[in-house]
Amino acid sequence: MTGRLTALLDTLLPGDGGDWPAAGAHGLAVHAARLADDMPGGAEAMAGVLDALPKGFVDLPQLRREEFLHEIEAQDAARFDAVITAAYNAYYTDPAIRDIIERLTGYPNRPPQPEGYVLDPFDESLLDAVKARGPIWRLVD
Amino acid sequence: MTQTADIVIVGAGAAGLAFAWAAVAPNIKVVVLEAGGHVNQRVAPSLASDWELALQTTFNANPNLRRGVADYPVDDSESVIRPAIFNAVGGSTIRWGAHFPRLRPSDFRKRTLDGVAADWPVSYKDLEPFYDLNDEIMGVSGLAGDPGNPPRATRSCPPLPLCPATRRLAAAYDRLGWHWWPSDAAILSRARGTRGACNNCGPCGVGCPRHARASADIAYLGVAQAQGVELRSGAVVTKLERLGHDITDVHYVDANGPARLSCGEVVMAGNALGNARLLTGIIDNPLFGCGLMLHPTAIVTGLFKQNQQSWRGAFASALVSQEFYESDESRGFIGGLQLQALRGQGPLTTALGGYGLRLPWGQRHKEDFVARFGHSLSLTVTCDDLPEGPNRIALHATQTDRHGLPVPRMIYRVGENSQKMLDYGIKRASEALREAGARQIAINPLVRNGGFHLMGTARMGVDDQAGVTDARGRVHGMNNLSVVDASTFVTAAAVNPTPTLQAIALRAGTAMRDGKITQRAIA
Repeated sequence: MTGRLTALLDTLLPGDGGDWPAAGAHGLAVHAARLADDMPGGAEAMAGVLDALPKGFVDLPQLRREEFLHEIEAQDAARFDAVITAAYNAYYTDPAIRDIIERLTGYPNRPPQPEGYVLDPFDESLLDAVKARGPIWRLVD
Repeated sequence: MTQTADIVIVGAGAAGLAFAWAAVAPNIKVVVLEAGGHVNQRVAPSLASDWELALQTTFNANPNLRRGVADYPVDDSESVIRPAIFNAVGGSTIRWGAHFPRLRPSDFRKRTLDGVAADWPVSYKDLEPFYDLNDEIMGVSGLAGDPGNPPRATRSCPPLPLCPATRRLAAAYDRLGWHWWPSDAAILSRARGTRGACNNCGPCGVGCPRHARASADIAYLGVAQAQGVELRSGAVVTKLERLGHDITDVHYVDANGPARLSCGEVVMAGNALGNARLLTGIIDNPLFGCGLMLHPTAIVTGLFKQNQQSWRGAFASALVSQEFYESDESRGFIGGLQLQALRGQGPLTTALGGYGLRLPWGQRHKEDFVARFGHSLSLTVTCDDLPEGPNRIALHATQTDRHGLPVPRMIYRVGENSQKMLDYGIKRASEALREAGARQIAINPLVRNGGFHLMGTARMGVDDQAGVTDARGRVHGMNNLSVVDASTFVTAAAVNPTPTLQAIALRAGTAMRDGKITQRAIA
């Protein structure tokens, strides 16, 4: 089962040969399965998609795997959506992946709190043009 | 523990706690019953790197998916928009963006001005002092002088700042000659008492550990309890006992088992869904349950070439444009809309689609992620819905929750007028984002998880032909029953309802405190 889930994750979130590792090869199968369990209907969805994979799926090339997954997705989009959510959940909360995101985008690999970000003052001069137009609300009574 | 009360309030959300604070007095015993428990925001999920998972679980806006201990199922099979409510002390202000606009004077005069819906039995001027009072208690950042709204008192804190993306948008609005203004936000930009100042972190929707973002529990509960209000949390109201035109007792269940409160007045503040479960059969006005208004919302997202770091900043409270707020017949619809900037998404939410569509899986995924994350800015198209057609709240004929209460049914489709408004707003939002420099536009034509504002099912009116309640929320034909939440709204307006429903609650609570209680608790 883990081998098939690893191959499934690698197909959904493949590596790019550079910065980004493939999700399965990165070792996220167990975590993704656990996160699916936490979702209403997630475990059933994961099991259903894994069962629908053809024999030999793990040995197929990426493009062929994608073709099979598109067929499975078309058969039951809601079920497949739950699996994608579990895969993305595992990938984008993984600390090593968050390091990559920080390096590529500047988004810091830390929680939003307690540090947050600098709260600059509002620049009221930005509103000069709006103020110059005058009121636009309807008078009543 | 006392089993009598002068006033029993059902629901400890934005309206219920504001009402409790206003109504309590040394000689008036006020008890608030709340099905949910307390949420300790000092340990909010935003203190952990995987905070975005909470948006799918404990802070999921949809009670059918969240499935918390205080949640009841909602049958949304006949609605194109799913419910988005939160059951806890603080209500849905636990799970909100704290965007805090007021209705305009024209919103209260829709029949007179536009020939649709009805006029409210209260005016903007009637509510204005209570808007001001509520702003002070909640703690509002903003800037007086908005030409889109009547003059108002100086805000207690200066506005939250714009970010690179919203500065681009503001400049685009200026070039287009359109209105914009920094949002009024129930978020402190300066520390006050035990509440810290906002530190621009972004994910307000999972609670604020600094208490900079207001919620009803943070802003109202402590001051209400200091004046004698008693809160019983984890108390699920199961029945209102009626004798003639009076409610004599409120039955509830808590950890200690079934209980009963004899009451002088009953005030319902449990939102349109929760109220329907208890009031159907009590209120026999045919208007009750009908005329459900939501805010059908589209979201238009612009993608920019440069990284805007748009994960920073309160996600729902940056700036708004009300250029298209008032009715203009030439647009082909009645009423108007607001464009509200959205930002503050994390990486996981971006991948899952966030305000728009989920990023594709497969070989294109990483490329799309890098192109979008931090590069986007979204605009809501928030529509002034009308009370029309079959839209309503009803009860399921057979399904019940674990307490035996009927499951509410949410029945809603987007009306023709609102659809025209959405279509128009999507074009204007796209125009603005392109003017701001977006190289690509993504459109979510209807936010399916957007049932956060449930209005109109117990609307106010001067008599029982015009409404379910009077201007202070008192139910026509009943001696001691009131409704004070957004279900009393006569029109939806094109803005978030919380400041208005709280102003209504303060006005009604003040009136009850100042001598309008008709009965006392029956010992």
